[in-house]
Amino acid sequence: MSNLYAPLSSLDRLNLGNEPLHDSSFGIFVTDESGLLQYLNEEAARILGFKNANDALEYSLHDFEMNTNCGLSDVFDNIIAGENFKKTEHRCTNRLGHYAVLNISLGPFRDDGGGISGVMGTIWDVTESYQRKVKLEEADYVMSVISQVSEALASAAELNDVLRIILTGVTANQGLGFNRAFLLLINEEENILEGKIAIGPNNSEEAHEIWSNLAGQHRTLLELLDDYRETEKNSGFSTSSRIEDWKIDLNKPNYIAEVFESGSGIIVNDGVETSSESSKIFDYLQTESLAIVPIISKGRKLGIIAADNKITGKKITQTRLDLLQIFANNSAVAIEHSRLYDKVLERAKELEEINCQLANSQEQIIRAEKMSVIGELTSSIAHELRNPLMVIGGFANLMISSGDAGDNAEYLNIILSETQRSESVLHQVLDFSRASRTSSREIKFNALVKEAYDYFQTKTKFRQKGIYLNLSEESAKVWGNPDQLLHVLLQFIHLTAEGMTDECKAKITTHGACNKVECKKVRLTIEFTGSQQARDNAKKIYDKIFGSSEGTQRMSLIVAGETIKYHGGNYGVENPTNEGPILFIELPAMRVSEDD
Amino acid sequence: MIRVLVIDDEAHVRRLYDDLLTREGFEVISMACPHKALDIIRTQTPDIIVLDIELEGDSGLKMIEKYKAECPDLPIILNSAYSTYMSDFKTWMAEAYIVKSSDIQPLVEKIRELTGQRRKYEQNRK
Repeated sequence: MSNLYAPLSSLDRLNLGNEPLHDSSFGIFVTDESGLLQYLNEEAARILGFKNANDALEYSLHDFEMNTNCGLSDVFDNIIAGENFKKTEHRCTNRLGHYAVLNISLGPFRDDGGGISGVMGTIWDVTESYQRKVKLEEADYVMSVISQVSEALASAAELNDVLRIILTGVTANQGLGFNRAFLLLINEEENILEGKIAIGPNNSEEAHEIWSNLAGQHRTLLELLDDYRETEKNSGFSTSSRIEDWKIDLNKPNYIAEVFESGSGIIVNDGVETSSESSKIFDYLQTESLAIVPIISKGRKLGIIAADNKITGKKITQTRLDLLQIFANNSAVAIEHSRLYDKVLERAKELEEINCQLANSQEQIIRAEKMSVIGELTSSIAHELRNPLMVIGGFANLMISSGDAGDNAEYLNIILSETQRSESVLHQVLDFSRASRTSSREIKFNALVKEAYDYFQTKTKFRQKGIYLNLSEESAKVWGNPDQLLHVLLQFIHLTAEGMTDECKAKITTHGACNKVECKKVRLTIEFTGSQQARDNAKKIYDKIFGSSEGTQRMSLIVAGETIKYHGGNYGVENPTNEGPILFIELPAMRVSEDD
Repeated sequence: MIRVLVIDDEAHVRRLYDDLLTREGFEVISMACPHKALDIIRTQTPDIIVLDIELEGDSGLKMIEKYKAECPDLPIILNSAYSTYMSDFKTWMAEAYIVKSSDIQPLVEKIRELTGQRRKYEQNRK
């Protein structure tokens, strides 16, 4: 402390009492060998906690040590021994208990002979600049956290990823350092806040596991945020697993609703308020102190972030709350963007589906046109064949009945029987080709099935069969040719009824498609509910129909099957264990409009 | 003897009906042109008409109206290779619809049934 070394032997020769020094902006003092103050200026007196300099002259530096932690007493002996002491930004309180940050310089005070007669010191009160510096550092820290979080958010678009990054920033030690964080978003329709995501350990065991894992990795916040998906496993199972069940009713008074409505963050402590809803929040979180801040984007309230230090018990300061609020404000924009992104994705998916439907419709139209042409052609060919067949069969019949056939009677009978079989096949083809000429349209599937069922009910032969109809409640629609599809249903019901024995019952059920993306098919099933024997018999019937190439039944099935495929559908027989066979027909469902 | 007028544009069908219906005890008049059949109805008073639908030049369905205008009580049996015309309301003016088949018995029975009914009706009128 050479600058304070004075070659003069007395205070007078130092001229310490001169006016500029006495009123200077830094404190200066001189003690004797025992530490008793010999001189101090007004600033030193103020710093040490005196009204004026004279009041302090009877005090020793050692007296202050009881009430302050200035550290002057500790180093006094060293100074007397000839050492210098310097300390900057030393945080202490003075004898009145006032907080101060000081820059201190101490050195020996020498007499004329160069011997040490006391201690001379200067003290600068740098409290204000220190506070400014701390605030700047804090702002820098917040900026750094936000910058790193923003960088991580830039690479995430989906809402869940965005929320996870935000809470990782809140809970990471390199971030805001809370133990746990919870994010709830508004459900405007129900006026409730719904838990979306939570991060952090719920008990000390989890905390030990998670934090020791993270501590060993020595990652920066950005690195941690870049691996946000990995944080899922560090979320704390018991904290995150229940979060989606957490709902806060905004109509009932509670802390969280208050923060959401007012738009201002608060720190709340358990037991301060008696509202039952608030108690539920503390019960749910099992915490004693909670910081709650709103998430607001362009004046629109999106939700809240709640954070606590349940594990460490560290007090949540106003500064931390302010930081959390700044963080929430910046996160709000990301949440808004990701919600928009999710909406865009949803719309894109809808458009994709519509495009797909459009492509299918175009394909169906082309196929329908082809089918129409084929139908016309088939019809005219079948018609042209039917007349000759009738003539051939008719004359064979005539010859047989006239008794002129002689040895050729057997051959004539064969001609007649084959002719009749061919006529039956033509009957199917003609019916189908006739149906091909009607155009496609929206069809209420249940109504179509009912029409086919009613048709059979008019036939005494089938009315006596135990066939029951069970229509679904949803009014699903299919797009197609109603005549062709009716023909298909008639064929399948007919085949079923033909094969049924007396003890067998069949249930026709429609399974409607709902107005959801995943409900894409309309389904009709025909299942057997009779005795085991009857069901086994039914299985044989279907095996026979689907497995053989026998006669007109096979022809009917080919025509019906092709019609289903043409409409983009499918059919077959399922054989569930311990049940009878189930015949099914599936057709693509049309999306039901809101008007329906 | 019951007089049956067969109108079909196919010669072999007409021949078949000539032989079969004659054998069944009917008097058969057959022709291809549905318009000429109007003259037969006026001059030869058939008891029943067996009418094809898809005729060369014109449709049997159109002709029913003309035949009925000429002779309202004359029963007409539509006889077609198509079964699907049955759902066409124009066929409802005819008394019956029989799909063409090598098994002619249903047609024969229907002729007997309708002509029998007509005779009873005419007797009652007298």
